[in-house]
Amino acid sequence: MESPEQVFNKIVKDYSERLYWHVRRMVGSHEDADDLLQDIFLKIWTALPSFRGEAQLYTWVWRIATNETLNWLRKEKVRALLRFSSADELAAQKVEADPYFNGTAAEREIAKAVARLPEKQRQVFIMRWWDELSYEQISAITGTSVGALKASYHIAQEKLKLNLQDSDVSK
Amino acid sequence: MTKRNPISVPDGYFQNLEQRLSRIPQEAAAPRPVHRLAPYVAFAASLAILAVVGNFILRKTAVQEDTGWDYVSYLAQSLDPDGLVELKETEELSDEDIRSYLLASNISVEQINMTLYEEDY
Repeated sequence: MESPEQVFNKIVKDYSERLYWHVRRMVGSHEDADDLLQDIFLKIWTALPSFRGEAQLYTWVWRIATNETLNWLRKEKVRALLRFSSADELAAQKVEADPYFNGTAAEREIAKAVARLPEKQRQVFIMRWWDELSYEQISAITGTSVGALKASYHIAQEKLKLNLQDSDVSK
Repeated sequence: MTKRNPISVPDGYFQNLEQRLSRIPQEAAAPRPVHRLAPYVAFAASLAILAVVGNFILRKTAVQEDTGWDYVSYLAQSLDPDGLVELKETEELSDEDIRSYLLASNISVEQINMTLYEEDY
């Protein structure tokens, strides 16, 4: 029988890198992703005694990560308001200023357009496109039906195409 | 749209991250020194908020025009986040009104957030 610390360390080993990339794409900067990841794993550690195994560990860990990320983004909206800005613009500015972004100018435009998507559409788009999760996996994690997820993904794609139509990156 | 990861991390970041995250169980068990400072931080924050609210009220009472500010000002003084939601639902509230209210209120960002998005909590 593994101790809670052993289970937690296994979760860290198995999920930290993958969740980092998900969170990084959601929040737009390395520093914010690093801070948020600490909070997510603290939450996982705190909630570990309540994990009963009804859900797969994979789903449970991702569910905590995605919920914490959405909560962080909602708080960011209020923080943006207090800075006389909008969360969309703040997220795009973070992508613009990210020192660990080493893509082309076109890739930066895509990243900024993704950052401007509404939170849930951004979440579905990133989970499907970048994290390469199936709709069934995303559905189990988010509790949203596969049909609704497909609709969200389609809408997100259309918005991105629209936002990027003047550049070559949408082709 | 082509798929290529354009973002990177500092050298050695993931090794360091794994080590830091693995320390969470020990750190969560240990009492955090920040707790001892919390009352003093709260006191200092209260003084700062009092100064902001006082300044806001003084400035607003100096102007006698009825611009709908009375109600926002009242909400700021009564520190009622539910009132903000009610006002938002019944009247056209500009971003500027909300910002001013938030700046003048004594309500934490977390509390406002919980009120505005209470269905998610």
